[in-house]
Amino acid sequence: MTTSAIELQPKARAPLATLLLALLTGLALVCLASLLLGAGEVGPAEAWAAIRGDGTADARFVVESLRLPRTLIGVAVGAALGLAGALIQAVARNPLAEPGLLGVSAGSALAVAVALVLGADAATLRVSVAQIGALAGCLFVLAVARVNGVGNDPVRLVLAGAILSGLLGALTSMILLIDQRSADDIRFWIVGSLAGRRLDDLGAILPSLVVALALVIAVARPLAALALGERVAVGLGHRPRWTRLLTVVAAALLVGAATAVAGPIAFVGLVVPFAARALAGPDVRRTLWLSLILGPILVLAADIVSRRLVAPSEMPLGVVTALIGAPVLVAVVRAHRMPAL
Amino acid sequence: MIETIFSGRRLALAAAVTCALGTSLAQARTLETAFGDVEIDGQPERVVTLYEGALDASLTAGVKPLGAVATRGGDGVADYLGDAADGISIVGTARETNMEAVVAQRPDLILASSRLPREQYALLSRVAPTIVPPSEGFSPEAWKEEARLFGDALDRRAAIDEALTAIENRSQSLAARQRDGDTGAATPSTSPSSGTRTSTTRTSATRTSATLARWMPQGPLVMSSRIFSSGLLAATGFEVDDGGVVKAGRPHSDPLSLENLSRIDSDWLFLATLNADGQAALDSARQTPAFARLEVVHNDHVVPVDGQLWTSASGPIAAERILDDIEAVLDRDAMNR
Repeated sequence: MTTSAIELQPKARAPLATLLLALLTGLALVCLASLLLGAGEVGPAEAWAAIRGDGTADARFVVESLRLPRTLIGVAVGAALGLAGALIQAVARNPLAEPGLLGVSAGSALAVAVALVLGADAATLRVSVAQIGALAGCLFVLAVARVNGVGNDPVRLVLAGAILSGLLGALTSMILLIDQRSADDIRFWIVGSLAGRRLDDLGAILPSLVVALALVIAVARPLAALALGERVAVGLGHRPRWTRLLTVVAAALLVGAATAVAGPIAFVGLVVPFAARALAGPDVRRTLWLSLILGPILVLAADIVSRRLVAPSEMPLGVVTALIGAPVLVAVVRAHRMPAL
Repeated sequence: MIETIFSGRRLALAAAVTCALGTSLAQARTLETAFGDVEIDGQPERVVTLYEGALDASLTAGVKPLGAVATRGGDGVADYLGDAADGISIVGTARETNMEAVVAQRPDLILASSRLPREQYALLSRVAPTIVPPSEGFSPEAWKEEARLFGDALDRRAAIDEALTAIENRSQSLAARQRDGDTGAATPSTSPSSGTRTSTTRTSATRTSATLARWMPQGPLVMSSRIFSSGLLAATGFEVDDGGVVKAGRPHSDPLSLENLSRIDSDWLFLATLNADGQAALDSARQTPAFARLEVVHNDHVVPVDGQLWTSASGPIAAERILDDIEAVLDRDAMNR
């Protein structure tokens, strides 16, 4: 534990404020690009005119009613997934931990499948279903891994998550094989996409996002202390078990909210904290805030690719993030030295 | 195995009797299939269909198969067949055949889809003569040839020919009615911005356009102008328009981006759903602003149709049911005029 504490000594890095400013500028640019580019005939010039208040009725409709909601939802989903990834990796003390590997996504997928079989409609499915599934999945993983042991053996948490994800995935497949209509409905939900989502959906997940953000602010310091070791954290007056529980609850709320709106989107929660650590070092108090901004940048960039790649159709966002994320995962695994958390 | 031979003998005997009576000649015949020539003798009694088009053709010919595959997105055969298909065992889905279930039916004839893989053919053809129509790519007329082939295999070609002629006559009369009635010309008062798209005075050269799509919340799946139901729309005088979305050689399409919905803004939009409640699907589509602003929606020219029938089925019975739907559209349009 002491060795990792020494590694945690801040190295010479750019000040957090500078980094945040640079990333916020990047985010603003990606948001603009997201309004200007799409799968349709409305090109950047027309879209720009529409943003400034003139332009054709068609262009204004596309920018205001299609690309703007999509961009806002992309920002929320990216922020939630990036932040959740940073939280889960910190609490599992494992750079390979990913919300998707912890039963959260599989839990919401199963909940959605069950809801569809019970007669819900994919188009009007309430976001709460996916959120409850996410939370249940995550708590189940914690129970299996016995949260007490996590500090000593984070691998157990990831393994338990992988096992549960496999189990829940099999249950989902089973349900969908039995009920063909649901299989057809869920086919498009299961890959994840930002297309056709309405701003109402964003409103529905806003409470969870606010609660989760409050939790994150509360656990950021204890979580950083926990990285120094269980005893140090206790010595500093923190309660590790509560810290872990609240962190996981916050992550489950975030992933559940993102999944409820956009479906499961793979790898964002893995790649974003990885990039954040590369920029700002391993201190969770820094990576959390960077992940909050890096997430939307990645999701929006991937979404723009998803719109342009096969226009006039669209490729689901989940496919694009997986294509980006998988090589990064391989790179992390192949790296000589795993970053110690 | 013994029983198969026995039933074969019984069949031959039956054939000989009918031959003697001079009504119909159930003689040995050679059929051209995708996997070479297949010999069939007598009138098959124990038929298994592994393709919705084959089930439809078989019922048209007056033969109720013992086993059939489930329709797309359903657990049983397609609803449009109604009581005619009661009691048929399900022996798989369009994607996967349950070989044991097929063997259990002890079939003397298997009718399959033109897309049956060679490996499956090798297995099935050992159970019973297996008819796989030669593939003609995705042609909206292919189903007629398939139905005739299945009719030959069942030794009931006349019934199929009769049904096909009836469908052709009905299509032509619907097309004539459409030509005379000038159906589908958008009423200009409801859509002031439509000047460029729809001319109010339609020459005989411009036909009423129609698009077939399945609605998904993230964008519609536009159906190819080369599938079965599109062929019937074309035969009844519609200009089937897939908006240039469907790539060559592909029967269906990826979801069209909501930004490009104007591409499916035809004179008529047939909206297919796999669950029975098409009206509910239409209502859910209307909640999408990009859909609600389409001219075809303003004109109330969106027709919810049964997806099992319009996007999965093929065959003479399906054709008649689709023509029913098309006729209902023409009736409705004539009333609104």
